[in-house]
Amino acid sequence: MNGGGASLSVPVLTALVAGAVIAGIPLLLAALGEMVSERAGVLNIGLEGMMLTGAFTGFAATLHWGSPWAGFAAAAAAGLAFGAVMALLCVGLNLDQVVVGIALLVLAQGATSVLHRAEYGASYPRLDAVPGLEIPLIAKVPVIGAALFSQPLVVYLAIALAAAVGWLLRATSLGLELKAAGEEPEALDAAGVSVVATRVFGVLVAGTCAGLGGGFLSIVAAGVFVPFMTNGTGFIAIVIAMLSRGRPLWVVILALGFGIALSLATALQLVGVSVPIDLLNALPFVAVLVALFLFGRGKALPGALGRPFVRGART
Amino acid sequence: MVRERMVRVRARGMAVAPLAAAVALLALALALAGASGCGGDSLPDTTTSSVAGRSISRIGIVAPEEANDFGWNQEGADAARRLADSLGVEIEVADGAGYDDPGPVLRQLADDGSDLLIAWASGYNVVARQTAGELDVPVIVIGAFEEGLAPGLSQDLETRAQEGAYLAGFLAARMTKTGTLGIVMSADDENWVKMAGGFVAGARAAEPATKLLLAQVGQAGYADAAGGKRVTEGVIAAGADIVFGMGDGSSFGMIQAVETATPPAGADKLWFIDVIGDKTSLDKKGVYLTSVWWDYQPLFERAAKALEEGTFGTQVYYLDLAGDGLKLLQTPHVPEDLWKEIEDVKADIIDGTVEVPVTESKTEVEALIGG
Repeated sequence: MNGGGASLSVPVLTALVAGAVIAGIPLLLAALGEMVSERAGVLNIGLEGMMLTGAFTGFAATLHWGSPWAGFAAAAAAGLAFGAVMALLCVGLNLDQVVVGIALLVLAQGATSVLHRAEYGASYPRLDAVPGLEIPLIAKVPVIGAALFSQPLVVYLAIALAAAVGWLLRATSLGLELKAAGEEPEALDAAGVSVVATRVFGVLVAGTCAGLGGGFLSIVAAGVFVPFMTNGTGFIAIVIAMLSRGRPLWVVILALGFGIALSLATALQLVGVSVPIDLLNALPFVAVLVALFLFGRGKALPGALGRPFVRGART
Repeated sequence: MVRERMVRVRARGMAVAPLAAAVALLALALALAGASGCGGDSLPDTTTSSVAGRSISRIGIVAPEEANDFGWNQEGADAARRLADSLGVEIEVADGAGYDDPGPVLRQLADDGSDLLIAWASGYNVVARQTAGELDVPVIVIGAFEEGLAPGLSQDLETRAQEGAYLAGFLAARMTKTGTLGIVMSADDENWVKMAGGFVAGARAAEPATKLLLAQVGQAGYADAAGGKRVTEGVIAAGADIVFGMGDGSSFGMIQAVETATPPAGADKLWFIDVIGDKTSLDKKGVYLTSVWWDYQPLFERAAKALEEGTFGTQVYYLDLAGDGLKLLQTPHVPEDLWKEIEDVKADIIDGTVEVPVTESKTEVEALIGG
C-alpha cells in the first residue's frame, strides 16, 4: 500500500519558496508603513482594517479595469484615504490612537463585507494570475531562479521600497524629522518643524503601504476577495514593525521569515511530518526576540509613541 | 446514551437498596429546590420526555457569517427557507451575527414572532438553549450531542459527514491520472478531520495504491484565501491532480489555485472537490468535480414534524447518507458508469456493508494515510 508523503522534488521546492515570498510581501509592505508611522509617534492599530480596505478596493479595480496596476493604485488610494481619516482623528484632533485604530478596523470589516455581498456575493469572481517578470539567465536556475526571479514586478518593487524607506529614514532630513516627531516632538517643534505635518505624513505612508499590502493579498496572493481575508496579517505586521525598531532590513527579514515559516509548515506536512503549524509560524518571532535579548536590549520604541502632541503642553 | 445510562443506574439502585433510594429522593428534592432558586439561568431539564405538540408560524435563524458564502451559513439559511416554504410560514434570517453571544439576536427573532429558532453555530448552543428555556421558544442547535436535547425546547443536529467524503474519495481515486490526491483543510476542525478520514478510506477502497497528501492551512484559517491558494499550490506541485478542499472562505483560494496552477506530470487537468455547499454556478473554468453537499432541509423538516408531534428534542438527528441530507453532488464531469458505481457504494454504506471510519484528529487521518 502506498502511504502519504511527497518527496521534496524541484516543482515542490519551487512552489514552496515562491509561496514563502508571496506570503511575506503583504507583511513587508504593511510593516514598512507601520514602522514609518511608529517612528513619527503614531501607533496604527487600524492597520488590519486598512489592509482589508486595500484588498477589497484593489480586487474591485483589477476586476473592473482588467489591470493589476489599476488595482494596486486603487488599493494604495484606499489605504491613503483611511490613513487620512486616522491622521485627522489622531493627529489633528488628538483622539486616542488605540480607540481610533480599533474603530477603523471594525468599520473596514463591516464595510468590505457589506460591499462584497452587494457586488460579488452571488458570483465570487476570481482574477487571472498576475504574470511573473523573468529576470534573464538567473530565472533559469532550478528552484531559486523560478521561485525568486520569476515573480510579478510588484514583488521586486516592494523590496525596493524597503531600501527606499531605509534611505529616507537614515539619509534625509525628513527621516530625521520623523524620528524626532516620535522621540522628542517638543524639540522638533522648537526647531520650527511642524510636528503635526510630520506625523500626518507618517500616518499617510502607513495607510498607503497597508492598502498596497492588502491589494497584493487579494490581487496576487489569493486572486480573489473574501470577507475578513486578511486573517490577522495587519496585527502580525504591527509586531514586525515593533520588533524591527526602525530598521527596514529587519522588516524584510522578518516578513520573509514569516513566509518561510508558512512554507516550511506546508513542506513538513507534505513529507508526512506532523508538526503544530502555529509553533512553526511563531519561529521567526522567537528568533527575533532571542536576538533582541542577546544583542539589543536598548530602547525599543520611540519615546513619544502613542502620545498626542499638544503645542506648549508639559509632558 | 448518557441519559440512558443515568436512568439504568437509578433504576438498579431503587431495586436493591430502599434506603439509598430514599436518600436519592431526598437529594433529588434538594436539587430541584436548588434549581428552582437559580431562576432562568439553569439549562433546561432534559429528563422529561412527554411534551405537548406545537405548531410553527414563523422561523428565525441566526448565522455567524453572511449567508452568501456558498457554504455553511448559506446552506443553513437556504435549508431554513425551503422549510418555511414547505410549511407555508414566514422566515427571518439574521446572518453575519458573529461568534459572540447570540442571545440578543435570538430574543429579537422571538420578539418578531418566530416560534422556531435555529442557532446556526456550535458555539451558540449553550446560550441558545438557555434563551429557549427563558422564552419558552424551541430552538435547533448543532454540535452539542445529548447535551443539546431538551424535550419540546432544544433539538440537536450532528453530521456523519465522513460518509459523503468516503464517496468523494472513491470518485477521486477512480478519476486521478497521477495516482495522487490532495486534501487541504483550512483549520483544525472536527468536521474537516472527519471528512478527511472518510476521503482517505474511500480512496483506498477504490484504489489501494492511491497516494494521499494532507495539508492544513492554519489553526483557524477559515477566511485565509491566500493561505488556501498557497497550500493548494504546494499540494499540486507534489503531484496531486485532484484536491479535496475544506475551507469556508479559504476554499475560494483553493479553487483559484486549481484554476491557475500547472497540472503535475501525468495529468492534463486539475479538479477540485468541495464540501458543504454547491459552487457549480461559480465554476467558470470547469474544475469543479463535485461536492460533499450538506443539505439540512430533511433534518429541519424532521425537527418541525417532531415539534408538532411532541417528540422534539428527544433524540439527536444525524445528517447522513441514509437520511438523504448528505449527498455527493452530481456534475457533468463525473462519467455515468462511475456515478452508478458510486450509487452502489452509497447503498453499501447505508446498509452497513461498508463501515466508514471516524477520525477525530489530524493525527488519526495521518495514521490512516500511512496505512
